[in-house]
Amino acid sequence: MLGPRESSLWHMISAPTIWALHFCVVYGWTASVCARGPDPAAARLGIGIATAVALLGIAVVGWRAWRQWDYLDDYDYEHDGPSVEDRREFLGHAGWLLAIVSAIGVIFVGMPALFIETCL
Amino acid sequence: MAGSRRRAGRDPLNVGRVLPAVLIAILLGGCSGVQSVLDPAGRDAEVLARLFWWMLGGAVILWVLMNGLLVYVSRIDTRPLSARAAEWLIIGGGIVFPTVVLAGLLSFALSEMPEQRAPGSGLTVSVTGESWWWRVEYLPDGAETPVVSANEIRLPVGRRSEITLNAHRVIHSFWIPALGGKTDMIPGRETRMSLEPTRAGEFRGQCAEFCGESHALMALGAVVMDEDAFAAWLEKEAAPAVPPESDAARRGQAVFNAEGCGACHAVRGTAASGRVGPDLTHVGGRVSLAAGILPMTAEALMRWIRDPEAIKPGAMMPGYDHLSDDDLSALAAYLEGLT
Repeated sequence: MLGPRESSLWHMISAPTIWALHFCVVYGWTASVCARGPDPAAARLGIGIATAVALLGIAVVGWRAWRQWDYLDDYDYEHDGPSVEDRREFLGHAGWLLAIVSAIGVIFVGMPALFIETCL
Repeated sequence: MAGSRRRAGRDPLNVGRVLPAVLIAILLGGCSGVQSVLDPAGRDAEVLARLFWWMLGGAVILWVLMNGLLVYVSRIDTRPLSARAAEWLIIGGGIVFPTVVLAGLLSFALSEMPEQRAPGSGLTVSVTGESWWWRVEYLPDGAETPVVSANEIRLPVGRRSEITLNAHRVIHSFWIPALGGKTDMIPGRETRMSLEPTRAGEFRGQCAEFCGESHALMALGAVVMDEDAFAAWLEKEAAPAVPPESDAARRGQAVFNAEGCGACHAVRGTAASGRVGPDLTHVGGRVSLAAGILPMTAEALMRWIRDPEAIKPGAMMPGYDHLSDDDLSALAAYLEGLT
């Protein structure tokens, strides 16, 4: 669905996409649970599950991107040549960095649930 | 270049030296006073002030380090970095360091938040944002009917009081910087906060969400009292209005009735029972007039009644400039006597 890993941009941006989905799910879930209930425990549980699932997804995406970059094979972090290999490594490298940013983003979005004990 | 230096040398006012001093004086003026975040008089405001000082301290340290580094690499040691050193600088200084610092600051700020939402004990004060004034209702523990007041909030010192917030037509925000954080007031949805004042005194609140043309003129007197004084005040506030004592005040009451003021304003214990405008039962006992804008004096009352629009653009109350000075003065005497 996302096209070939070596040349498709979609794989590169799948980690930020998970981050965006996590953001929407957490906000939507909290709003609806607190409007219905309010049930802070259910809100926190849902945020915890969504955060764990998102981090797992990002870890998988990040690991695949890291493999695609294959840094430890050739220690190559410049990918400006017009070759298939450079394109593959560039997309892997960028995907790996985006996975790190996305993981930090997901943690920061989920963190308030650790501290805040009420809906209001 | 040389020309500008000569001009600066002839500058009789020495703006280059005076201006920073003036700016510092203006900035330092915000460090204390009745409406300062940096001069806390409540438990929640103390937390917020501490948070501010930590953030400021951190920002100053980072600013000095960053600019020190910039000066170092551009002036003191201008040799190029090795590729490896540059890599570590980018990863360490660009990713790891900010992530750790931001995570620490976020955890610190978030850990302070539950306390800001702690439930109150005993007194509940319900505040409704109107255009552009505050409807204030006190509900002591166990009471069924609220004590209605306006444009001023009084709280007992050393006790956490529950504050419930509503808005009539548009969004407002309730904020008494010396006592605590701000909370939005939203039409159709009740929000809440709690305040625990730690020091008796007079403070000032301000609507902190743009709500129309007189938003900047929507302030709020905040008086923190010792527990006994507060209980005595609330008992007095709950009582009906005192009858006018002087001749002028009696005449003022007649003007009040003849002009139909009671259609919008309530003075409990009289026929006036309007709910549209602020309750005036004890208006003379408040620290300010027109939601924190004017002092509570006879002159200010006359000015306000004659032309509210001139003082608070868009105010719903019509002007009474057809009244003679005698009538206005009598009306002011009546209202001032409603303590």
